[in-house]
Amino acid sequence: MFTSEFLPLALENVSSEAARRKTDGWRFVQLLAVADNTGTGDRDSTVDLVYSYMKDGMLENLVVKGVSVGDGADVDEVASITDKYLSAFVFENEVHDLFGVHITNIAIDFAGHFYQVPVREPMTIISPEQKVARERAAKMAAMKAAKEKAEANGAGDGAKKDAAKSEADIEAKLAALPPEKAAKIRAAMEAKAAKEKAAQGGEASNE
Amino acid sequence: MSKATIIPFGPQHPVLPEPLHLDLVVEDETVVEAIPQIGFVHRGLEKLVETRDYNQFIYVAERICGICAFGHSLGYAETVESLMGVEVPKRAEYLRVIWHELSRVHSHLLWLGLAADAFGFESLFMHCWRLRERILDIFEKTTGGRVILSVVSVGGVNRDINASQMDEIIHTLEGIEHDYHEIMQVMLNDGSVKNRTVGVGYISHESALDLCMVGPFARASNVAYDVRMFGHGGYGELSDFQPLCATEGDCYARVKVRCEEVLQSIAIIKEMAAKIPAGDIAVPVKGSPAAGAEAANVLEQPRGECYYYARGNGTKYLDRMRMRTPTSQNLAGMVSVLEGCDLADVNMIILTIDPCISCTER
Amino acid sequence: MSEFGLGRMTFGSLFKKPETLLYPLETKPAPEGLKGHIVIKVDDCILCGICERTCPCSAIKVSKPDRTWEINRFQCVQCGSCVRACPKKCLSMDPSYTSPSAQIYTDSFSIPEKEKPAKAEPNSLASETTLFAHQSPCQTAGRFPHEFIDESRRSR
Repeated sequence: MFTSEFLPLALENVSSEAARRKTDGWRFVQLLAVADNTGTGDRDSTVDLVYSYMKDGMLENLVVKGVSVGDGADVDEVASITDKYLSAFVFENEVHDLFGVHITNIAIDFAGHFYQVPVREPMTIISPEQKVARERAAKMAAMKAAKEKAEANGAGDGAKKDAAKSEADIEAKLAALPPEKAAKIRAAMEAKAAKEKAAQGGEASNE
Repeated sequence: MSKATIIPFGPQHPVLPEPLHLDLVVEDETVVEAIPQIGFVHRGLEKLVETRDYNQFIYVAERICGICAFGHSLGYAETVESLMGVEVPKRAEYLRVIWHELSRVHSHLLWLGLAADAFGFESLFMHCWRLRERILDIFEKTTGGRVILSVVSVGGVNRDINASQMDEIIHTLEGIEHDYHEIMQVMLNDGSVKNRTVGVGYISHESALDLCMVGPFARASNVAYDVRMFGHGGYGELSDFQPLCATEGDCYARVKVRCEEVLQSIAIIKEMAAKIPAGDIAVPVKGSPAAGAEAANVLEQPRGECYYYARGNGTKYLDRMRMRTPTSQNLAGMVSVLEGCDLADVNMIILTIDPCISCTER
Repeated sequence: MSEFGLGRMTFGSLFKKPETLLYPLETKPAPEGLKGHIVIKVDDCILCGICERTCPCSAIKVSKPDRTWEINRFQCVQCGSCVRACPKKCLSMDPSYTSPSAQIYTDSFSIPEKEKPAKAEPNSLASETTLFAHQSPCQTAGRFPHEFIDESRRSR
C-alpha cells in the first residue's frame, strides 16, 4: 500500500528541495498547478504549485501556496528544477502555457509554444459556472457566520433567538439552491408574511 | 566535417497514429539531438471538471484516451473515493482488477501489432490484432461497450460479471494464450525481429532512474517499479506480484517486457476470477467532497504509472482534476534515448516507448 | 523454428472459418446488454427530469408543460447514467445502435396523462408505434451529409 501526504513548501526552497530529494534518491513524479479561487475579475491571480516525489511507496506532494501569475511586474519567479530532474521540462512548460507561471531557466524551454492554445493561459479563466459556485460557497460561509453570531447574541430573548435561528437556517438552505428556485421560494415566503401581517392587522382593527 | 541537417518527423507519420512532432538534428545518418513538440490536440478536458459534477466526469475521464479508457475512469474514481473516504466493496475491487488487466492485455496486443507493422511483419500484425479482437468481444459481452466501457462509478462498478460469463472469459483467455505463445516465440526469437530491436535505443539503468522513467520503458532498464506491487485496491488480494524486468535496456528488452506482461495479466485475471467473493458491487455515495480537500493517487496503466490529483470545493463540482500520464513522464527519456541513434531506427525507438499523445495533452 | 510456428498458424487459417465478417451481408449478433440506444416506456414516465440532470452531455430534454421527453441521439454517449438514475425504471438500453443519418435530429416522445390505470393495456401498441415513428423521415442512407458540414455542434 502506498501512502500519499501533502506537505507545505516555501517558494524560495523549490530548487534546494529538489536537489535534496535527488541526492536522497527520490523519484520526481509530477508538477501541477491549481488555481486557488482568489481571483476577483475574470481570471485567477494566484495558483498553488504541487511538486510530487516518490520513494519506496511514499508519495509526498509538496504544496507551494499562492504563487502569483500573469503579466504583472512583481509576479513571482519560480526556479526551474530541470537541472536536477530533466523530466520536469514537460510540466514546467505546461504550467507556463496553461497557468502563466513564470519559471526561469527551463532546460528545454518552449517559451509559451508548448501547447497551441487559442486563448492565453486558459486554465486561469474563471468560467461562469465556477463563478456561480464560488458565490454560492461564499454566501453559505457568510450565512453560517451570521447564524453563529445570531446564536451568540440571542442569549437574552429566547423567542427572538429561535426566529433568528430559523431565518438563518432558511437563508442557508436557500443559498444552496439554484438562483431561480431560491427567488421563487423567497417570493412565496414574502407573500406568506404579508398575508400573516394582513391577518394580524385585520384582527387588531376588529378589536 | 559533416553538416547538421534538421529533419522534421511527424505530426503525421506512417508509424505513429499519434500527433507527435520531432525535430531531428542529424549529422550524416546519426541523430545528434531530438526536440519533441506536442500540443496539436490539446482539448482542455481538465478544465471541463468545473462544469461536470464528479459523477458525470467519469465519462469525460475515460474519453481521455481510447486505449487506456478503463484505466483513466478507474484512476479518477479511486481518487474521488479517497477524497470522500468511500470504502468500495470487495467484489467491485476484484471486478475492477479483472477489467483493468483485460485492458492491459488488449493494449499490449495492440502495441505488439503496431510494432510488427512498423518493421514490416504484416502477418504478425494481423495475428496480434486477431487476438485483441477477442478481448474486445469480452468487453462487449460484459460491459456493453468495446472501447469506452462506462462501467466504473464512484463507489463501485455498474455491472456484475456472472459465473457463466466468468467461465467464458477464462475459456477465451486460454484460447488466446495458446495462440499467443506462438506470437511470442516469433517476437522474441525471430531473426528479422531481432535485427531491428537488439542493441537499438539503449538506455542504462542509471539514466533510467535519473530521468524518472516509468512503465515498461523503465522496467526494460531493470527499474523494478510497478504501482501494482503496492497492492492498492484489488491488487492487495494477489498471492504474489513481482514487477517483470529486463536488464538489456534496448528495444528488444521493451518488447520482451511487454510480451511477458501479457502472460502475467492473464495469470492475474485467472487468479482473481477463481477467488472473487460474492457481495455488492457498489455502495451509494452521498454528499460532495469537502472544500479544500486534496487527494493524490497513482495507478499502473499499460504504459506506466499514471498520477491523479483532485481538489474539492464543497460542491459536487471539483475545483481541479489532474492526470499526469506515463508518456509525459517518459518524454525526457525519449529525447535522451534518441541522441546518437541512426535515423532509420528512430521510428522503432519511438514505437517501443509507446507514446500516447492524446493522453498526454488531455 | 519459430517462423514455422507462425507459418503453421497462418497456413492453418486457410482452412478455418474466417475471423472476419462480410459486413453488409452478415452482421454480428448483438450481445445481451450491449449499449446501443436509450428507449423509454412512455406510460411509466412521470416527467421528473432526473435523467436530464444526470446526463453528462445534455442530450435529454424533459418538458413538463408540453409533456414531452426528448433525446438527441447524436449527443448521447451511451453511458447509461439516466437508466440507472430513473426512479420509475422506465428507461432502458436497447442493444441496437442508432443508424447513421444525414441530419442531426432529436427524438421526441409525448408522455400520456396518468388518468388511466397503468395495468390496463400491457405492452400497449400505442407506445410501440411512438417508439419507432421517428425513423421514417430521417433515414436517408447512402447520401453524403452536406448539411452536417456547417452544423454548429460539429467538433472541429
